Amino acid sequence: MKKKLIAVLLVATMAASVVACGNKGQKPSSSNGSGTTAPVEATKINTDTTTLKVLLGSEPDYLDPTLNSSTDGAALALNSFVGLYTLDENNNCVPALADGEPEVSEDGLHYTFKLIESKWSNGEELTANDFVYSWNRAVAPETAADYAYMFAPIATNEDGTLKVEATDDYTLEVELNAPCAYFYDLLAFPTFLPVYQPDVEAANPDGTAPGAWAQNPGFVCNGAFTLSEWKHNESMVYTKNPNFYRADDVSLEKLEFMLSDDDTAIYAAYNNGDLDFVDQKIPSDEIESLKGNPEFHVLDSLGTYYVGFNVNSDIFDGLTPEQAAEMRQALSLLIDRQWIVDTVEPTEKTPADTFIPDGMADGNGGVFEAADAGYYDATTTGAGNVEEAVKLLEDCGYTFTDKGDGTYDISPALEVTYLTNPSTTHEGVAALIQQDWGKVGIQVKVETEDWNVFLEDRKAGKFDIAREGWIADFNDPINMLEMWVSYGGNNDMQLGKNPTAAAPEWEAYDELIQKIYTETDYAKRAELMHEAEDMLMSTYAVVPVYYYNHIYLQKSNVEGVYATTNMNIYFMYAKKTAE
Amino acid sequence: MAKYVLKRILLAIVSLWIITLITFFAMNAIPGGPFNKEKATDPAVIQQLEARYNLDKPLGEQYRLYMGNLLHGDWGISTKSGRPIWNDMIEKFSVSAGLGLRAAAIAIVIGIILGAIAALNRNKLPDRLIIFFTTLGTAMPSFVLATLLLLVFCLKLGLFPVFSSEDPNYTLPVIALAVYPMAYITRLTKTSMLDALNQDYIRTARAKGVSRTKVIFVHALRNALIPVITYVGPMVAYILTGSMVVENIFTIGGLGSTFVTSISTRDYPTIMAVTIFLAMLMVVANLLTDIVYKMVDPRIKLD
Repeated sequence: MKKKLIAVLLVATMAASVVACGNKGQKPSSSNGSGTTAPVEATKINTDTTTLKVLLGSEPDYLDPTLNSSTDGAALALNSFVGLYTLDENNNCVPALADGEPEVSEDGLHYTFKLIESKWSNGEELTANDFVYSWNRAVAPETAADYAYMFAPIATNEDGTLKVEATDDYTLEVELNAPCAYFYDLLAFPTFLPVYQPDVEAANPDGTAPGAWAQNPGFVCNGAFTLSEWKHNESMVYTKNPNFYRADDVSLEKLEFMLSDDDTAIYAAYNNGDLDFVDQKIPSDEIESLKGNPEFHVLDSLGTYYVGFNVNSDIFDGLTPEQAAEMRQALSLLIDRQWIVDTVEPTEKTPADTFIPDGMADGNGGVFEAADAGYYDATTTGAGNVEEAVKLLEDCGYTFTDKGDGTYDISPALEVTYLTNPSTTHEGVAALIQQDWGKVGIQVKVETEDWNVFLEDRKAGKFDIAREGWIADFNDPINMLEMWVSYGGNNDMQLGKNPTAAAPEWEAYDELIQKIYTETDYAKRAELMHEAEDMLMSTYAVVPVYYYNHIYLQKSNVEGVYATTNMNIYFMYAKKTAE
Repeated sequence: MAKYVLKRILLAIVSLWIITLITFFAMNAIPGGPFNKEKATDPAVIQQLEARYNLDKPLGEQYRLYMGNLLHGDWGISTKSGRPIWNDMIEKFSVSAGLGLRAAAIAIVIGIILGAIAALNRNKLPDRLIIFFTTLGTAMPSFVLATLLLLVFCLKLGLFPVFSSEDPNYTLPVIALAVYPMAYITRLTKTSMLDALNQDYIRTARAKGVSRTKVIFVHALRNALIPVITYVGPMVAYILTGSMVVENIFTIGGLGSTFVTSISTRDYPTIMAVTIFLAMLMVVANLLTDIVYKMVDPRIKLD
């Protein structure tokens, strides 16, 4: 009897713990996606109006804006440094330390910026020389900055330094290689932010530790907030910088960052009122219930999730380049994009029908992709295209047996490997694609590799098909087109790299990108970029699935935080109320 | 004793050297590298970084340079963050050790007391209750326990914040860390104590009229502690080095998550440093365990 009682108690305790674990904190109720409104229960708020508590991610690698290459690090940099330009809440590039628009020579190659008078956080004057130093430091080989290539549009001297000159304390002259339609976007990019030379050099006497100056609280900056406390892997506290050029517009006294990537802890902290803002790290199983909640925000981003084909893979052996493209086209047609965004990606993502994402500028004052543009109807790809896909595959030498239930057997057998990294989303997409392609008898082996190995194998072309994604660094299509040049480090699809007989001829693409770089007529440049996208899409080596978006949670008593389409977040003009 | 300690120290140095050798070549054998990023890094930048961290040299040369620097007290620079590893490691270890020591103290004291109570009340209600809760404590994974504590004490009862930069909550992580070893020590103590209580020398002591308290605490418990000491030594070393699960759930900047992250990011200098550091802790803990054995039971010959 006693044993039974103990057994019952054990079971009851276990069940209670499981139930408790399933209920992740104080969950806000919301309206659902179909528009049926449920009462929205606001989450607990934090009434300290002087401090904004934020979650961007886990411990950042670098706080030096020159060395940073992560999204959360970029947000930290942009809230503690400011450059010549910045992005406003409408995604427009607007002057920051630049005193109005620069003088630009007729040929578009020479820019003269006048700077406003501003100070570093230690009270020292910030001058044009600080930009000359910072930008040259960014491109110096010994700095080894990941984003050094962002300075490529600026002309260089024979010694490798940039053609950037401070003609006086508040005048900066810049010479470009060719007119650059997105130059102001670059000026708002974190790598272009100024750094304080005395601190940088003092902390790096032997040149082996370029980021050492920004590894401890108190380093000199010129942005809205300065780092005052850093508990590694726990929290960071930034304090208002009274020397910030718009300090009067900053109402917050402190920014506190929780450093974590544990979704459960983050969501619990938000619901408990210990966080005011959570960027991206929202448990995926909570998203459906958050739809319709005013605290849940979804913004479009300039990025595309896509399936990439290694054009040199042996699955294309024996085919001509045209047949190989047809084979990839067939596989693209079979992917049910709407099913993917409806089931795997709960954040209202849009199925993609172009590689350049919707809303990206064309560098000529317009939007690159017209509203009706698209290489296929992304909302109807999938089961409805099976017959067309079968025909395309027949052109490649495969034969099919109709099984009578809308599916086929393929001969000879075709087995492909789909490479991905561990993630619920990526593996979910892989599973759906596996089912889509299985309808025509293709066997898909999904291989999941550790992130580091995955990156290495993808770059080396050791795969047949892989999941891919790209978020634009700046708002211009060239950022997503230049990666496909045959010598490009991001050309995972191996276009033009030791091509096999089945790979497309790719020299023309390289030449086209060079033409885009030097084209001075921005209307013509936009046309050339369309031509490049057409050329890329005609290979079907890149098969867009959906466009990325950006999700975040923000308390009802917070306003003034804004995020841009390249996922930068600006907190400095946020305001918090007590209710 | 001194001869024994000296011998153990010499053996420990050899063990540590073998550990460095295995770790170094094993981590270099796994695919991937420290500078792999989603957006490709310029080959010239990679070259510069590899030169900075000596990764452009043959493996044997890399190992020689690493060990040379280590013997001069240079634990290297993290390839992930560019930060000096020693400072970071000590800072994080102090956090993990602070929590771990508290958890270990709670686990040992309460575990022994509960184990003794259970043994002395065999098959009675206190024994049943203790066994019930210790079974639960050993069966429940730490991530479930930690999440449960977070939900109950932070969200439901509001006794602690989930996150606070000014006043971090260390009570719940200490409990989460202490429960498993406490439950294990309780069970171990009970078993050993029952075994000890049935020994002839206990019967003899009782027959000679020694008081019950003295029989329990001087004769039975002292001998019952030997298996507990065997467990406690490595347990303390383990608990001091932090738990990734508990650190992640309670947002604590300890050594546990650093170690795991360093492996996934192929931060070679950090992998080496943390492995060596943990191995040193383990070696010291084992040595101390043996010395405590000797103190508890003088019959044990360390030589």
